[in-house]
Amino acid sequence: MSLAANRAQAVARPAQPAEATAAPLAYVGIVTRAIAFAADAAVIQFVAIAVAGTFALILSVLSPSDKFDGAILVVGSAAYGLWLVGYFVVFWSATGQTPGNRLFQIRVCRADDDTVPSASAALLRFGGLIVAALPLFAGFLPILLDDRRRGAHDMLAGTVVVSAPPAEITARR
Amino acid sequence: MKPVVRRAGRAAAATLDGLLDSRFAGDAVERLAASPLAARAVRGALQGPLVEAVAADLVRYRVADRLLSEGLVEQTTARVLEGEEFEYVIQAALESPTVERLIGSAIESRLLDQAVVRLLESDDLWLIVDEIASSPAVTAAIAQQSVSFADQVAGGVRSRSRSADAWLEQRARRAFRRRPAPPPDPGAG
Repeated sequence: MSLAANRAQAVARPAQPAEATAAPLAYVGIVTRAIAFAADAAVIQFVAIAVAGTFALILSVLSPSDKFDGAILVVGSAAYGLWLVGYFVVFWSATGQTPGNRLFQIRVCRADDDTVPSASAALLRFGGLIVAALPLFAGFLPILLDDRRRGAHDMLAGTVVVSAPPAEITARR
Repeated sequence: MKPVVRRAGRAAAATLDGLLDSRFAGDAVERLAASPLAARAVRGALQGPLVEAVAADLVRYRVADRLLSEGLVEQTTARVLEGEEFEYVIQAALESPTVERLIGSAIESRLLDQAVVRLLESDDLWLIVDEIASSPAVTAAIAQQSVSFADQVAGGVRSRSRSADAWLEQRARRAFRRRPAPPPDPGAG
């Protein structure tokens, strides 16, 4: 199914639950999502700084030659990028929830069947997130106007962000 | 035994019963007990060899062992402890100014300060404190308290962020002349 058709189907079937008896989904707005993202950013940066600090201490003892500085910078940047992408992709595709999402009791799910997005969809969503942030965060503006509170990255990946109280999370396991 | 003697004995016994039943006998006993004569008699008995003789007989005939073996002491103790009299006595003692004064002077005395200082200096106390502090019940209670507080804070932030979502969305829709958002599901999140 093409992306446009997928989106059209998602709009045509608003808040389609996985089961007929399931409660309707409550889509989450931009403020809650932004705060949850900030919590995730804090976790990511804390871990990154701790790891980078540890390696910096180790390197200060080993005192490698200056000619390795470029290589160390490249490896460090790659590791950080991998950690950043991996964090979101793994959590979104595994449980639909990052730690920040869990704190704010929200989750990412597929727009059409309310299931956890695949790894490729999660990767696409993360790419869309970066792209949406580039034009002065204009890509997040649709969250305020869309009936299902979806940003550009949600539309791109075919996902929505919904409320996930603890009881619902337990029931879904 | 001759019949005359037997009849005389029976008559004497009947006379004694009559005397004991009469109120004069009671009065006579009370007067005797209240008289200095009785006091002198008791004092003389206690000063004399009677006490030692009674104590020696108590040991010789194992009176204490017999009482213990018959459960008399347990029954008496149980009766005293279960009885209302004991409760009254304790209550009266606790309410009495004398006991209150004694407790107050005991608290203010140097003895208590010294006891506290010695207790604080003892390693056993800190061992007990360590044991209690690291006990599963205490750590679970502290963890529960921390989690409850964190939940409370997170719940407050969640509630405010949901309100901010609705407020911001309403303003944005009005600015872009879009129809109002569908009402949120009251049962969800």
